[in-house]
Amino acid sequence: MAERKDLIQDIAAIEASNLLETVSDVKDDGYRLGQICATKTADGIDVLYTFEKDSILKNFRVSVEDREPELHSITAVYWPAFIYENEMRDLFGIAFRNLALDYGGRFFKIAKETPWNPNAVAKRDEDAAKAEDCDAAGDAADADADESAKTRSDEEGKGGEN
Amino acid sequence: MGKRTIIPFGPQHPVLPEPIHLDLVIEDESVLEAIPSIGFIHRGLEKLVEKNEWPEMVYVIERVCGICSFGHGWGYCKSVEGNLGAEIPPRAEYLRTVWHELSRIHSHLLWLGLLADGFGFESLFMHSWRIRETILNIFEETAGGRVIFSVCKVGGVRKDISDEKLKDIVKTLDGIRKETAELTNVFLEDVSVRSRLSGVGALTKQDAEDLCAVGPVARASGILQDVRLDGHGAYPYLDFSPCIETEGDCYARCKVRIRELFQSMDLIEEAVSKIPAGDIEIKLKGNPSGEFVARMEQPRGEAYYYSKGNGSKYLERMRVRTPTNANIPALVKTLQGCDLADVPMLVLTIDPCISCTER
Amino acid sequence: MANLKIGKMIMRSLFKKPATLMYPVIPREYKERTRGHIEVDMNACILCGICMKKCPTDAITVNREERTWSIQRMRCIQCSCCEEVCPKKCLVNESSYTTPDIIKIADTYEKPDEPNAAAGETGLKCADTCVFCGICVKKCPSDALTVDRAAKKWEVDNDKCTKCGFCVESCPKKSLSIE
Repeated sequence: MAERKDLIQDIAAIEASNLLETVSDVKDDGYRLGQICATKTADGIDVLYTFEKDSILKNFRVSVEDREPELHSITAVYWPAFIYENEMRDLFGIAFRNLALDYGGRFFKIAKETPWNPNAVAKRDEDAAKAEDCDAAGDAADADADESAKTRSDEEGKGGEN
Repeated sequence: MGKRTIIPFGPQHPVLPEPIHLDLVIEDESVLEAIPSIGFIHRGLEKLVEKNEWPEMVYVIERVCGICSFGHGWGYCKSVEGNLGAEIPPRAEYLRTVWHELSRIHSHLLWLGLLADGFGFESLFMHSWRIRETILNIFEETAGGRVIFSVCKVGGVRKDISDEKLKDIVKTLDGIRKETAELTNVFLEDVSVRSRLSGVGALTKQDAEDLCAVGPVARASGILQDVRLDGHGAYPYLDFSPCIETEGDCYARCKVRIRELFQSMDLIEEAVSKIPAGDIEIKLKGNPSGEFVARMEQPRGEAYYYSKGNGSKYLERMRVRTPTNANIPALVKTLQGCDLADVPMLVLTIDPCISCTER
Repeated sequence: MANLKIGKMIMRSLFKKPATLMYPVIPREYKERTRGHIEVDMNACILCGICMKKCPTDAITVNREERTWSIQRMRCIQCSCCEEVCPKKCLVNESSYTTPDIIKIADTYEKPDEPNAAAGETGLKCADTCVFCGICVKKCPSDALTVDRAAKKWEVDNDKCTKCGFCVESCPKKSLSIE
């Protein structure tokens, strides 16, 4: 009877700062990127990276906070990761730095922004409310309000490009 | 140097059964770059784990894709069974294998038909689908549905196939074997088909490895990669080795799938001759509380099923990564430098299933 | 003669019967296991509502006050989930499909009145052998049971209880009964 390689589960938690290093090591070992997926947990988001070599899986879990999640993209090591990273950006609002092919949140055509991460939505709403308050308290100049709205949208656009 | 133009390809296009959009940057007649864009049919099926208890979730996961429905069901069950640490009775594993291989035959015949339709060989398309009908009838007789099986459940299978019925299936497969050989001979030997497919969209082994291609696409580029080798189901008891070609072009991909067609028929025959008697399901205790990453070899390639439980009746997260998801980077790469007229062939030969990809 | 590879096949199909069926002139034959549509036997149904809870598409509605069981035919995906979970096995997946229609049909079935049910005498009873283990509470699909281990109290909410019998089966001491 052959060995049940599919039952071996190897999941290791790593720090977000070590992500690129770990992924590069795995790539040097000849592993292939299997999948990346995000899971919303009670106090943040877990991102699971799965790599495969000769039917053996290696998993790494990176935890990030969920209000303004940010991670380094691994597209420099594994280019095909852009699909998963754009997907996570759209559904969970995780911003990826140095993403090789960035769709700026338009990879999935969905009605709501980051539907699977309510905390990021709440954070965005708060920010928007705060910006509005500032405008009202300021010199009540319409031009200013326009200006801040513009910078806000600029920032949003930049967030997507990064 | 010619003028550069961007041509939108899809989401509505005669060769596309499902919506994918490609922005093709072309110069004269050749494609310089392709930017894929999906997401037209995101259904949020993964999110439904929060509304369906885990025993019922299998009905939803099965509907991720119509063509590889059984494999999705099995993958989900495998993931949850791994989570619960359940051991599945051998007869159930054999039955699952038989059903899964039957769906591989059905999927590959469907794909051959679509390919023929893609290069304008309509009668070949009709004949492929005529043969496929036999397989659909077997599905209906054994599982009750022509497309969606609903026979795989966490802990086993719902319905048994009697030994006579299994022998009948083998007999039916023997009956269509000759016809299929005749049909696939056209794909492999016909001059016009060969000239349409040979040398088009070659993907080197190195590229396929770098781009993490899976399934027939990877195997056509000479990579030995098949999830069936990892020891699940009845595969460890069956004698088989993955079909591998080395050219990496559309013709090689077609050839891999055709060889797999006959391999699946052999596998079913062997499984039927070895199937043990016994239970088809076990009773499960408790709720899943850990996490488990399971893999399946779908007709289109390797698929991932990740389940995370929290000890309640509802899973915390269910994730399906389908083969097309992994093959899109390979598609983008092969599109670079190809002729505009070859784009439909390249898109078709990765066997795209976009609804799967977005779930 | 390379171009005639498919010639033989085409010639053969020229003289053969068509592979397709002349539907609807010739009706389709359903297989024995075909999942076509759900039928309900209202005499056996106890309106417990488990099918409503388990249905993945929310196609089934059970109304205990009006004593009706209804199904939205267009929502039903023929997965046979209800058939499997039904404690009385009164749901059957018949092999024929529902006929096509231009409106979304919902079929409602009424449960005939039982002559003796009005008095409310029948109900779930727990004998003295009870050890207050609480398994019945976990098994109850309609959350009608409460067990307090410390106070040694076992209670049933008769309005909620559907008399489905899941608790009776699960009781390790066999102290539950429906009378």
